[in-house]
Amino acid sequence: MAERQSPERQLPERLSPLEPVFHTGSHGNFEHGVDVILTETRPGSILQLAAWPGAEKQLIEAIRKVTGLALPDGAGGGVAKDGKAVFGFAPGKFTVVDEAEGLASAFAKVVTPAIGTITDLSHGRTAIRIAGPKAEWVLAKFFAIDFALPAFPIGAGRSTTHHDVFAQIQRSGADQFDVYVFRSFARSFWKALCHASEEVGYEVQ
Amino acid sequence: MLITCPYCGPRDVIEFTYQGDGNRERPQPASQDLDAWNAYVYDRLNPAGDHNEIWQHSGGCRTHLRMVRNTVTHEISSTGFARGDHNAAARHKAGGKS
Amino acid sequence: MSPRRTETGGRIDRLRTIRFTFDGAPYTGHAGDTLASALLANGVTLFGRSFKYHRPRGLLSAGVEEPNALVTVLRGEVREPNIAATMVEIYDGLVAVSQNRFPSLAWDVNAVNQLGGKILAAGFYYKTFMGPVFGPLKGTRFWMFCEHFIRRAAGLGKAGIAADTSRYERMNAFCDVLVVGSGPAGLSAAKAAADQGARVIMTELEPRFGGSANWSGETIDGAPAADWAARTVTQLEGHDTVRLLPRTTAWGYYDGNTIAALERVTDHKETPGKGEPRHRYWAIRAKTVVLATGSFERPLVFPGNDRPGVMLAHAGERYANDYGVLPGDRIALFTNNDSAYRSALALKKAGAAIVAIVDVRPELSAEMRSLATEAEAEIVSGHAVVATEGGKALSGLKVQRFDMNSGTLSGDARSIHANCLLMSGGWSPTIHLASQAGARAEWNADRQAFLPPKPTQQQWIGAGAFNGSFSTVEAITEGRAAGLSAAGATGAPAAVPDVEATPGNPDPAPVFEIKAKGKSFVDFQHDVTAEDVRLAHREGFVSVEHLKRYTTLGMATDQGKNSNVPGLAIMAEALGKPIPEVGTTRFRPPYSAVSIGSLAAERFGDLKPERLTPMHDWHLANGATMYSAGLWFRPMIYGLAGETIEQAYVREARATRESAGIVDVSTLGKIAVQGPDAGEFLDRVYTNMFSTLAVGKARYGLMLREDGLAFDDGTTWRLGEQDFLMTTTTANTGKVMQHLEYFLDVIWPELKVTVTSVTDEWAGAAIGGPKARAILAACVTGTAVDNTALPFMGIVRGQIAGVPVMICRLSFSGEMAFEVYSGAGYGTHVWEALVEAGKPFGLVTYGLEALGTMRIEKGHVTGAEIDGRTTARDLHLDWMLSKKKPFIGSAMMDREGLIAPERLQLVGLVSLDNRPLNGGAHIVEELDAANPHDSIGHITACCYSPALGKHIALALVEGGKARHGTRAFVSDPLRKRFGPVEIVSNHFYDPDGSRMHG
Repeated sequence: MAERQSPERQLPERLSPLEPVFHTGSHGNFEHGVDVILTETRPGSILQLAAWPGAEKQLIEAIRKVTGLALPDGAGGGVAKDGKAVFGFAPGKFTVVDEAEGLASAFAKVVTPAIGTITDLSHGRTAIRIAGPKAEWVLAKFFAIDFALPAFPIGAGRSTTHHDVFAQIQRSGADQFDVYVFRSFARSFWKALCHASEEVGYEVQ
Repeated sequence: MLITCPYCGPRDVIEFTYQGDGNRERPQPASQDLDAWNAYVYDRLNPAGDHNEIWQHSGGCRTHLRMVRNTVTHEISSTGFARGDHNAAARHKAGGKS
Repeated sequence: MSPRRTETGGRIDRLRTIRFTFDGAPYTGHAGDTLASALLANGVTLFGRSFKYHRPRGLLSAGVEEPNALVTVLRGEVREPNIAATMVEIYDGLVAVSQNRFPSLAWDVNAVNQLGGKILAAGFYYKTFMGPVFGPLKGTRFWMFCEHFIRRAAGLGKAGIAADTSRYERMNAFCDVLVVGSGPAGLSAAKAAADQGARVIMTELEPRFGGSANWSGETIDGAPAADWAARTVTQLEGHDTVRLLPRTTAWGYYDGNTIAALERVTDHKETPGKGEPRHRYWAIRAKTVVLATGSFERPLVFPGNDRPGVMLAHAGERYANDYGVLPGDRIALFTNNDSAYRSALALKKAGAAIVAIVDVRPELSAEMRSLATEAEAEIVSGHAVVATEGGKALSGLKVQRFDMNSGTLSGDARSIHANCLLMSGGWSPTIHLASQAGARAEWNADRQAFLPPKPTQQQWIGAGAFNGSFSTVEAITEGRAAGLSAAGATGAPAAVPDVEATPGNPDPAPVFEIKAKGKSFVDFQHDVTAEDVRLAHREGFVSVEHLKRYTTLGMATDQGKNSNVPGLAIMAEALGKPIPEVGTTRFRPPYSAVSIGSLAAERFGDLKPERLTPMHDWHLANGATMYSAGLWFRPMIYGLAGETIEQAYVREARATRESAGIVDVSTLGKIAVQGPDAGEFLDRVYTNMFSTLAVGKARYGLMLREDGLAFDDGTTWRLGEQDFLMTTTTANTGKVMQHLEYFLDVIWPELKVTVTSVTDEWAGAAIGGPKARAILAACVTGTAVDNTALPFMGIVRGQIAGVPVMICRLSFSGEMAFEVYSGAGYGTHVWEALVEAGKPFGLVTYGLEALGTMRIEKGHVTGAEIDGRTTARDLHLDWMLSKKKPFIGSAMMDREGLIAPERLQLVGLVSLDNRPLNGGAHIVEELDAANPHDSIGHITACCYSPALGKHIALALVEGGKARHGTRAFVSDPLRKRFGPVEIVSNHFYDPDGSRMHG
């Protein structure tokens, strides 16, 4: 929750849900070239921020103040740079990600109860990055959304589902996507993603 | 079937959950009018034609939508957020007697 | 050289020889051949036996509509039956076998069925096997007797039993313009749209783009049509906004302009690439669809029209021009229209002798006469074919003078010697997808065909032969216009293309059938004859839908692509009505056969994703037997060597009550309820009060549905003034979340509350038992855990192994117990630290079985009791129903039927015969094992209770509370379990809660 204390001393390293199935190296049809790269980005902080109706602008300003990221207008707009990322995923709701831990405490000072709420999901979501010329192709096997650049611009976010696996997806580069899935589903989804990537050759980094 | 979510844009129907007849009016919480409660909980319009419906984009932004959908052709003639448009049912009783 | 292969010509690669087998015999063909063209080149004319009469059948067509030449393709142990040989691309090592013959294709014992033709007429099965049962072999019993023999004799290929190891995939695609079909119309549409910058997808069910351009022999803009097509494809490939999908059949047109298509990715390959799917199911959402699906040539219906060697005219032309194969060297044609003349000329040019063109029309245009002359063919106008001769191959035909106005034959029959007869009964536009999209076909009397009308809801544009515009110049013109319009352009299309084509009038004579003695087939695949259609009419079937089902016309795997219109025409004649009044059946998906694998796609194996708790790997490494609960995997027991499940859970539960036990509760649904109105919202959602709950405290809550029945229960923790953590039962998490979201969005949008699923954020471990507090005290830092610091339902924060944790003192087991929550990424650290700290205290890990046992001993309810039919009162939870406030369900929960004294109420049962009880068993007042009746309730959960040393159960029993202390019986006839039980309170163990409160 919002007021989880920042640790006074060094915490142990968090365990990844992918640990036993995360095999670095090239896999699948890689002899013909590796067309996607899969990795887990393991950000320190993943937050969900929600603004009350009418307070969206204040929340966007708070996001800018804390992260330095300026959200573009429009549904699903977002931006990713310098190890930080933010995107809208529902009316008045945003996912904010930072490589570093402790983002919730930083927001607690600026997102007042009059503006909205902060929900810490740093442990609850697993961030999987898929990059490469066939990233759109592989993701299209899972999600019924349009991944083409004009329809899904860089920085933008989307909420969608693959069967029971709820996913938030941000396009963090021309051919790079960050997929946020529920931690409990992450291993299952990762295995399916690897399976679907075999055809184009993939590398786990 | 595609449903155009006002936030997410057109998405496959598989991402949505039907959440019931949008013509229902919930009585005031403290109301003891059992007939009104009974109508709210059990009565459903079942028109052949335009119908006021509530759907949730459960596999997307999770907001609830009010839609007018033709039950014969599946044509969706309007879609909007349920929140902030609470009385849409009273204004547009599609499928009703009006 | 193969006997039927031409010296030159065709689009096959003569330098590449491919070896394959058919019915065990080795054959060769060339790259670019289909199984049909390769076998035809080898002189094979017999491809299969017909469905009902086991008549010898050869190739009718050269494409997807093929009804006769169905084969089974074998890949190792995996067999795929009923594939048209015309659609199988040969590859080295291809193994194909013919179907529906025994013992061999050439010599088939069931061919005697031909002699019983009258018996096997339309409705044979209905008439023979239905009806009242008199005597030993009548009606349905007769069917049961005969079924084995009939199933063996009838039908098509046999499905395999080996598991299909192929990979299948689903693909989602989006585009501005989807072009279905890549003939001149489709290519032109795709090109025009792509040139406008539109995102285009073009599907083609065959391996090569171009459609009729590949074999028409025409010239487009000065180049051979096939070269024009290849050039256009190259231009399309130059656009990065264009995706070209060969071997892809668009088979379904769904709402929202969603098209389902099947791509056969590796069926033509000897070995698929690594990770390559065999089939890909494409779900294409297109802003506009251009239907350029072409048309099918229709057979003529006359006696012996199914003999091997009788083929559609364009198919013969295509075998010659596309594959360099002559379907015969002495070819006759039989037609009611001009298009057959082009075919005749093409085959003449390819090297065949054209012996005659039999035309039902008495008068022919000068252009047709000159084409016939050029083909050196005798014109037999005003005549019809009345018989064919030969066995497994055609040897000749008989013609007679024919009056196409009256349909009568006259004069003597004349024999013509030919080993191939090409027929043309006109053309039917391929309107299947438009029909699926909701458009009702319209009869066009000139074309003698159903044409697509204007689209209704869906956004499609037709082009070319699909529209009944059969010439290439029209196809290109309409294709360009369709492509421009689909791309949203308004400019004028480019100049009319320059096409050199054989002339011809697109309108056929209205002749479908030649009535003469012998079997005239309408539906080749289902062996439906013209006489069957008339018989159905005589027996009173007047609706086309009934006709279809009674005769099975058009219901085979080809779905009547050839037979629909001739069948309708014959029905119309029998009814004495014009064809449009008889109507046409609505086409339904799929357009052609679709593999089940492609529909299941990536959902192979267990189909479901797995949900794992943060401590999953620890459980596996420490001997847990996992149990799948919904999508979750949870430890059932941590069995020791040689232990049964019961021994394991009894040990775990006993040790927990004697010292301490720990269980993974991470699967509990957790919802963050935040915001200034969170307390108010919870007051409305729960039956009891939450706004008054102090920060740092938890409370057990109950939710009802709007109809007043119990919905879910769980504890909710107040972490801050505006910050609650709600827990739900594992199974109900999704439903509760939706319930909350619905009320916030639809009913109370004025409340400032957000709800967020945080189930996965927290790892949860419940540690309970007399030693639980001592164990915590041994490993928790930063907080005390004694009764003052951590009273019942209190929450404290501290650290375990350096990890921040939240600890709430609450109990499901009935022992002094604590739930320890940490960030999921630290779940295993905390769990291991607790297990380590517990070692000196005899801490055990326990699973779902022991958890369930202890909850039954305590009489706590779960989903088995909150089953959607029980009320709070039924479950003795009425103490939780606040009278101070309305809440969801409060208005409806006191309805007469919900407070009736005879309702099923929660009770405990003790087995009096010391034998185990069964979940689902009925409870009766008086036992009558021979005639079980008068159930007064049922068991919802049962176990052996180590605490009581008895077999016990929870049950829902009529007026249960008033029966405490009385005796009843379990009555479970299915499992033959009968015996006495005592009805007691559901609180078996420590009813005053002294252990839990310490």
